[in-house]
Amino acid sequence: MQDFLLYTTNGLLLGVIYALSALGVSLIVGIMNVINFSHGELYVLAGYFSALFARGLGLPVTLAALLAVIMVFIFGLILERVLLRNTYGNDMASLIITFVLSIVLQNAYLLIFGPYPQKPPGWVTGSTHLFGLFYYGNQRLAALGVGAVVIAALFVVIKKTWFGKTVRAVAQDREMAAMLGVNPTMVNMLSFGTGCALAAAAGVILSPIFPVTPTVSVGVSLTAFIVVVLGGMGSLTGCVVGGLVLGLVQNLGAAYVSSGYKHFFGFFILLLVLVVRPTGLFGQKQL
Amino acid sequence: MMWRKVLSVSLVLGLCLFGFAGAGSTETIKIGVVGPRTGPAAATGAAFEEGIALALDVINGEQGGILGKKMEVVFEDTGGTPEKAASGFEKLITSDKVVVTVGESHSSCALAEVPIADRYKHPLIIAEAWADDITAKNSRYVFRAGPCNSGVVKDNLLGFIKDYGFKRVAIVAENTDWGLGIKKLAEDGLTAMGVTFMTVETERQSQDHYTELNKISAFEPDLVLAFIYGFGVHYFIAQANETGLFPQKALILEGAGPPSLWPEFWQNVGDAGNLELFLSRMHSKVDFNPVSKKYREAYTKKFGKEPTDYKSRSIYDVLLVAADAIRRAGSTDSEKIVDALEKTHLEVGSGVVQFGLEKGDYRYHQWQPPMLIVQWQNKEQVVVYPMNVKTGELKKK
Repeated sequence: MQDFLLYTTNGLLLGVIYALSALGVSLIVGIMNVINFSHGELYVLAGYFSALFARGLGLPVTLAALLAVIMVFIFGLILERVLLRNTYGNDMASLIITFVLSIVLQNAYLLIFGPYPQKPPGWVTGSTHLFGLFYYGNQRLAALGVGAVVIAALFVVIKKTWFGKTVRAVAQDREMAAMLGVNPTMVNMLSFGTGCALAAAAGVILSPIFPVTPTVSVGVSLTAFIVVVLGGMGSLTGCVVGGLVLGLVQNLGAAYVSSGYKHFFGFFILLLVLVVRPTGLFGQKQL
Repeated sequence: MMWRKVLSVSLVLGLCLFGFAGAGSTETIKIGVVGPRTGPAAATGAAFEEGIALALDVINGEQGGILGKKMEVVFEDTGGTPEKAASGFEKLITSDKVVVTVGESHSSCALAEVPIADRYKHPLIIAEAWADDITAKNSRYVFRAGPCNSGVVKDNLLGFIKDYGFKRVAIVAENTDWGLGIKKLAEDGLTAMGVTFMTVETERQSQDHYTELNKISAFEPDLVLAFIYGFGVHYFIAQANETGLFPQKALILEGAGPPSLWPEFWQNVGDAGNLELFLSRMHSKVDFNPVSKKYREAYTKKFGKEPTDYKSRSIYDVLLVAADAIRRAGSTDSEKIVDALEKTHLEVGSGVVQFGLEKGDYRYHQWQPPMLIVQWQNKEQVVVYPMNVKTGELKKK
């Protein structure tokens, strides 16, 4: 029982982070029909910013994390304006641009930050004796809590606010939304920035536990795409469920089958879903 | 008149190209280096670069070059991946025309390079890839002047466990050629010694080790042998501390070495790094011979700091071995260089290199340097094994 609880807690933690990271991909796919291949690089960028602000400038860790997310959000807005706006309606062009961008960013990180991992200071230290059964790092517990709060906040924004309604309107019918006074270009820009900020949020939450390197982004992007396909393209609820399923399957598979093939279990469940339900667990394009 | 212009331009270009080609082929002897400059073990590439600079100072400076020419090093990045290593190695041979290649730090990469060395009959001297299979393939062109799994396990790890009286040992190994190879040797050795042990495998790229640590904690070991190379071992140590295993219940002996010496070690593990043990070929207070002392002094003078990552000296050593072999061969012909390598008897920073010549197992073309087991004690390196060179006592809590 002790083992199962630990593996489940760890699965939940990683699941929440997977979901958080994948939500950005899903949001951008749902609204703009753009698959952002450079998603993982934005996660890494936030990790670097966070480490730089906290260690280099001596800012408090929470402020450094917040600033990092804002910086990546602004970077996302610039990317949308400069690189992506002219590609709307041409899926292949946006795919190639974001793919090239991911390679350029990886090499830029290597040049600027070097190949070594960068780790912002932890928000908390020590560990907690959970359920009286095992010790669990406090930083992990904090990441779990903050990740869940960010996801909940995103759902509130999308479902309950005026901005969320316009976003959903554009996702459902861009032309009709435009006729009713919504500016789809502005919605695209803000949505892309928000998607990037979600990747950044995952980056700043997780980088005190798993430091960032220039190439760690590949795994982040891959995991995000698995979660998006698993949950259903463009479905935010699917993302959360997909992330949790992936986190739990990976951890329980590693625990009860073999820890040497942790990532295999993720691919296995992805294949299973694609065979049984090709649209993913929650269909498609339902924001 | 147009044809005259074309002819003139062609002539000038041709002379330039001839000049460049001539300069490249006559003024230097090119040596290839393969190693990771990017990827999870990129720090090794930085250590290699330092060792190369020092070796070139010696070879081209005080030794006056080789065969009347300067040695030039072409460093190819493997990224730690076999496919990149294979293509980079092939490029060094076919495009850069290097006469010998040295280096490596990943067994999977070295194993991908062995058949290429055979195909092109090109001498390859491995510095830091430990899988027994690399020399056990008994290739005429492949040598290793560095540790191998069997040597490390038999000469160091098992002796350390026996001499310090550890009773229950947990092994965590990455699922790579090196990790699985050294795990098997450690298991066999512990079985023969009658020591109780358990084993768990992990992914090389994994950052999360809670699952493995939970299994290890349940076994209640007093020592954990961690065969994880790269930054993964940093995460393992930090998480072992979080989960209350290390150092409260068991010590961790990191079986790769340099990751515990990389600049990011303390950033990644924090205070959890105290009392961690690791394998090393070098320590500032243990000089194996005058060459190791000379190396340390030259390093400190050139870089303004004490050498920490021993792989800088590993590449320094193999470059000296390569230069010595070419000099004795009196030629850049690969067969003559291989013959000279087989007769090597050269004192380098780690000892006197002399390759095994009896075919049959990993000892063919293998030279095993002496290794140390070092413990971090309040951020100071203390040698705790072998007993005859230790600089302090092993601390358990």
